Amino acid sequence: MNTHRRRVVVTGKGAITPLGHNVEQLYDAQIHGRSGIAWIRNFEASTFPTRFAAEVKDFRLSDHLPNADRWRHAGPNTHFALVAAKEAIADAAIPAGIDRTRFGVYLGNGDGSNDFPNLISAIARAAKPPETRTNPNEFFDAALTSFQPGHEYELEMHTTAGRLAQIHDLPGPNYTCQTACAASSQAIGEATEIIRSGEADLILSGGAHSMIHPFGVTGFNLLTALSTNNDAPTRASRPFDLNRDGFVLGEGAGIVVLEELEHAKRRGAKIYAEIAGYGTTADAYRVTDSHPDGRGAIACIQMALRDSGLPPTAIGYINAHGTSTQVNDRVETLAIKKVLGEHAYRTPVSSNKSMMGHLISAAGVVELIISVMCLQKHILPPTINYETPDPECDLDYIPNVAREKRVEHILSNSFGFGGQNISLVISRFKD
Amino acid sequence: MATSSRRVVITGMGALTPIGSDLAAIWQALCDGRSGVAPFRAFDVSRLPCRIGGEVPDFSPRKALNRADPRENAALKGMKMMARTIQLALVASKFAMADAHAAPGAIEPSRFGLEFGATMISVEVDDLMEASRLSSTGAVGQVDLKVWGREGIPKIEPLWMLKFLPNMPACHISILHDAQGPSNTITEGEVAGLMAISEAVRILRRNDADFFLTGASDSKMSLLSMSRHSLFLSLTKRNDDPQRAVRPFDRQRDGTVIGEGTGILAVESLEHAQKRGARIRAEIVGHGGAFDVRRDGTGLATAIRAALQLANIAPGDVDFISAHALGDPELDRIEARAIAQVFGVGESAPVVFATKGWTGYLGAAAGPIELVFTLLAMEHGQLPGSINCENLDPECPVRVHTGGLRPIQKPYVLKVGYTDMGQCAAIVLRRFDK
Repeated sequence: MNTHRRRVVVTGKGAITPLGHNVEQLYDAQIHGRSGIAWIRNFEASTFPTRFAAEVKDFRLSDHLPNADRWRHAGPNTHFALVAAKEAIADAAIPAGIDRTRFGVYLGNGDGSNDFPNLISAIARAAKPPETRTNPNEFFDAALTSFQPGHEYELEMHTTAGRLAQIHDLPGPNYTCQTACAASSQAIGEATEIIRSGEADLILSGGAHSMIHPFGVTGFNLLTALSTNNDAPTRASRPFDLNRDGFVLGEGAGIVVLEELEHAKRRGAKIYAEIAGYGTTADAYRVTDSHPDGRGAIACIQMALRDSGLPPTAIGYINAHGTSTQVNDRVETLAIKKVLGEHAYRTPVSSNKSMMGHLISAAGVVELIISVMCLQKHILPPTINYETPDPECDLDYIPNVAREKRVEHILSNSFGFGGQNISLVISRFKD
Repeated sequence: MATSSRRVVITGMGALTPIGSDLAAIWQALCDGRSGVAPFRAFDVSRLPCRIGGEVPDFSPRKALNRADPRENAALKGMKMMARTIQLALVASKFAMADAHAAPGAIEPSRFGLEFGATMISVEVDDLMEASRLSSTGAVGQVDLKVWGREGIPKIEPLWMLKFLPNMPACHISILHDAQGPSNTITEGEVAGLMAISEAVRILRRNDADFFLTGASDSKMSLLSMSRHSLFLSLTKRNDDPQRAVRPFDRQRDGTVIGEGTGILAVESLEHAQKRGARIRAEIVGHGGAFDVRRDGTGLATAIRAALQLANIAPGDVDFISAHALGDPELDRIEARAIAQVFGVGESAPVVFATKGWTGYLGAAAGPIELVFTLLAMEHGQLPGSINCENLDPECPVRVHTGGLRPIQKPYVLKVGYTDMGQCAAIVLRRFDK
């Protein structure tokens, strides 16, 4: 570790998730083991292979922001990001008078959702039997008359980071990345590196996503990645349990304010935690599967630990990726054991997804925020629905009931579909 | 620790562009002022308002990839589950590795990273044809979701979603070249490619990798993408004059056209390049990013100043500026004002090289492709004249170089990028002298 490098701390946080509209509600539900999973209400899903998800409940943008109508074309990801960013910025209490050109944005963001009804009806009109291909001009006629230009534009992934920069006056470096389920953890890792490198002092980072729409559920169902436990939705997400059968889609956003340590100290900011280590690797194995021996995940966790300068034995809690798919949970367990050795069996591991589902691009940052809360409140959230041990998953997963424990350093993993692996080490701040 | 002093160099490039897919052909088209903009051939577009664009001609993965190589053969077999954006990226990645003389296995996998730029990749509507016919009620915008769930979903290919996820170009390239190091996909609109390259530079400097394939790929040649972009891009009405249609900084500019392409650079630490005896095409000495909150060019000026500062040079050290310049009435003006903020408006300001007249809008791939054009000019020591800027708009206070080849005298070149939202990026290259 470079002991002279600039240090990066978390000085603000905000979240809107299936477990509530702010960070406090999220953490409260997590430590009480409350599930946010229910029947899908975003659209008519009663005949889909999977009919349940973890949706953000009772969400109206106008409850959170004035002039909500201004954002009518934006997708749910942008709406969620606007709300979480408002909470994070208020929490960070950034004074007027800072050099705003040193304040940037780095999001791991999904796209908005396609105009499903107009798209499907345009295809149907342009591909009437017996045609075997869609007629281009028939399709253009239908699309150009039924699509909303504003909505189509706001689907693009860079618009969310742009909107945040516009309304919060953030003229610093502005980035968006999309590495599936690893995206917001990667955003935080690379944003940390931008601050360390001296290119910025403050970055609004995190991510937002919703795939609880007809295309999202269709796509993941076709890949057989989702749980189809329609008989018991709240019990469907069961990471590390022998009878897990896939993940449950969630949605939402998490935003943190990352700040260079001296900058935070000078302005007397509340310092919640330090981003102490970051690892990023690729499996380079297969499009659909992670490497069976956890090659990329192992290298990634090792890289994050090396970056933090900590020995594996310093890790007091692991906030797992823990998706509740057969492969992820087995490979992640394997990787943890490979890197931590015997210490793995003494380290509590849990999956926040057992309660809030998988927030895809927003998952990593929300799990980081929960980890930051663990450092402050000394209560580790459980893995709920853990009933039947899997011989290949033999660690301490904090089954079903939260645990009081003071920890100093937390490892948080995120592994993206397509092979991108991210690990972060989050530490209690010590001067 | 010495990581901050690690120098970063470009040792290879591959590009598939509307003006050609090998470096010699691209250079020739730039010198000849021959635009790649033409009437669309991909499909019948007679009912689109803008019917011209910049397609990559004669793209054939089968010709470019080698069946006898097991990894390339696996990539070829997977092509039917890759959108055109991904196919273009895979082929260009092979070109970049070949240009860098990096043989398979020559780069240590754990030190080989990928930083890629992309935008949304649209679904192919034909893949949803059966499901859509079954579940559409016949009324505009009416779909019976119960039918879709029960009968539609089973009509779609199981791997359908993988065809268009934005991180799939990076995923497939990492598999083809066994790149197991840091990997990211930047989705920051038209500056995505430049931001990806900037991030690769940052990672090389901090010593988390030795070698990167970095760049971006973007194709809108699908029915859904063409429709969407026809709705929100500002497109030219010059359907009858494709060669002269896109006119950066020209008084008569009236929008851009939809283009496509891929640009990929091999970028590595100087030490690594020298150790393996690589030919060095140029050094990356500065990068900067910013956001133009007020859309007046201040953000882009901030990004440029940050890049010059990292490069430790003054504005007067820059020979020419490769602009973003879409040919958009408003955005070109903002960009020109940003350049003038930093470099002034007189004869001492560097000349500007604006290339969208050759290609049209290139999405995420704009920056990397234009860096390839820039690197070719630097290597030939000659800057081609920008096309279609016949009457410089007085609202655009920049010196656009037009006409014949102009000798390049100073060692530094600036590349800039700008998005419709206001994201800005800048990269400074230096001619490499040992």
